[in-house]
Amino acid sequence: MQTVKMVVSGAVNAGKTEFIKAISEIEVVSTERRATDDTKMIKKETTVAMDFGRIAIADDLVLHLFGTPGQKRFDFMWEILSEGMLGLVILVDSTRPETFRETNRIIDFFVSYRDTAYVIAANKQDRPNAWSPDELRLALRQPPHIKVLPCVASDRESVKHVLLDLLYVIQERAED
Amino acid sequence: MALVGNIRDFGLSDFLYLVDRGYKTGGLHLSHEAEMALLFFEKGKLVMASRRPEDQHAELLVRLGIVSDTQLAQARQSLAARGNGATITQVIIDERLAKQEQFQGQLQSFTEEQVYGLFGWPEGEFRFEQNQRPDPGSPSIPTPISVDHLIMEGVRRIDEWGRIKDRIPATDMVVRFLEQPGEKAKGVKLAAEEWRVFARINGRDTLAEIAQKTNLSDFDTCRIVYGFLTAGLVDVQKKPKPMPLRPGAGAVEPPRVKRSLVNRIINRIKSM
Repeated sequence: MQTVKMVVSGAVNAGKTEFIKAISEIEVVSTERRATDDTKMIKKETTVAMDFGRIAIADDLVLHLFGTPGQKRFDFMWEILSEGMLGLVILVDSTRPETFRETNRIIDFFVSYRDTAYVIAANKQDRPNAWSPDELRLALRQPPHIKVLPCVASDRESVKHVLLDLLYVIQERAED
Repeated sequence: MALVGNIRDFGLSDFLYLVDRGYKTGGLHLSHEAEMALLFFEKGKLVMASRRPEDQHAELLVRLGIVSDTQLAQARQSLAARGNGATITQVIIDERLAKQEQFQGQLQSFTEEQVYGLFGWPEGEFRFEQNQRPDPGSPSIPTPISVDHLIMEGVRRIDEWGRIKDRIPATDMVVRFLEQPGEKAKGVKLAAEEWRVFARINGRDTLAEIAQKTNLSDFDTCRIVYGFLTAGLVDVQKKPKPMPLRPGAGAVEPPRVKRSLVNRIINRIKSM
C-alpha cells in the first residue's frame, strides 16, 4: 500500500480542521484541547496538536491529509510533517488581516528550504468582510504564478476545487 | 549574597530598575544558551558591559580606535606604577592619551549596544554579585551611564525588533536587489549610514555579514534593510543550504513524483 501526504497549514483559526473534515473519508483524528493561551480569545477550542484525514485513492494508494498546529510553539512539528509531502495548502482567514503576517511566516517556513508545490486558499469567502483572493495576493506578496483560490472550508465542493488546483500544480511538475 | 534568577521571570528592565533605584554596585552575570554577558554597575549606573570575554580587556579600546597599541602599553605601565585604586580609564584620561569626549562617546555607544542586544533574550540565568567591580585594567566608561535611558531605548528596540522580525526573521538571511524595484523605490534618498549598508548588498552576504563589514550593530543593519524592503528596493531570503553530494555524483535532486500517480489522485478527488 502506497501512501502520499498533503499538508494543510495556516495561522490559528484559519480553518484547517474544517478543511480536512470536509473532504476526509474517515472521522478526522483531531487532538483538540481547550486553549490555554491567547488563542482562547479567538475560539474556545483550538487545535494544539494536529489533524489527520484520509482519502482512499485505490486499493493500493491512500492520500493522507495532515493539518499542522497553528501556534508558534508547535513549529517543530512543521518540519516533521513536511518531510516527503506531495503538496501544501496554505489556508488564510480572509476576514482577519492581523493573521496575514503569520501566514507569510508559515509560507516562508515551508517554501524557503525546499521546492514545495503549494496553493493559497482564501478561506471564509462567504463572509461579507472577506478580502478577495486578489487582495490577499498583494497582502501576502505572492508572485503571479502562485494560485490564490477562493475557499469556504466547510463546503466539500470548495475544498475539492482547492485540492484539485493543487494537484494540477503538482501534475505540471511531475515526471512521466 | 548574590541575587540569582531568570530574566524570563524577572525581566532585564525590571532588574535594571532595581539596580538604578537601589544605587547598587556590583557585577551582573547573564547567560542564555551559548551566550554570556557581564555588566558592572557603580551606585546604580552602568560602567561596563561586554558579551565576549575579549571585550573585558583594554585591547577593546584599541579596536574601537580610542588609543593606539603604544598608548595602551604606556597606560599599563603607568597603572602598574600607581598601584592600588587606579584604573586604566583614569590613567588614560589623566595622562591625556585620549580625548575624554571621544573616549566617552565611543565606549558608551559600544556599551549601550551590548546591553540593547540583551533585551531580545526571552530567558536567561542571571547572578548579581554585590560590590563586585571590574578589574582595574578593564575598559570602564569614564562617566557612568544612566540606566533609565537604557531601559527606555531597550524596550523601544524590542517593539521595533518585533516589527522588523516579521519581515527579517533572522540575521542569517541574504539580502539582494530586486530586478524591478517597486513604485515606492522611485525618489528614495539614502542617508550616509544607509549607503554604507546599500553598498554592501551583493546577493551573497547575510545581514550578519553586512553588519560586520559596516561596523553597524545587527539591529541597525536590520532596521536599515527593513527600510529598503518597505521601499521595494530589496528582498531577503534564507541562505540556501549547501546541497549534500553523493560520491561521484552531482547535487542530490528532490525526488520527483510520477504523473500517473497524480492523475489517479485527481480522478479520485473529481469523483468524490
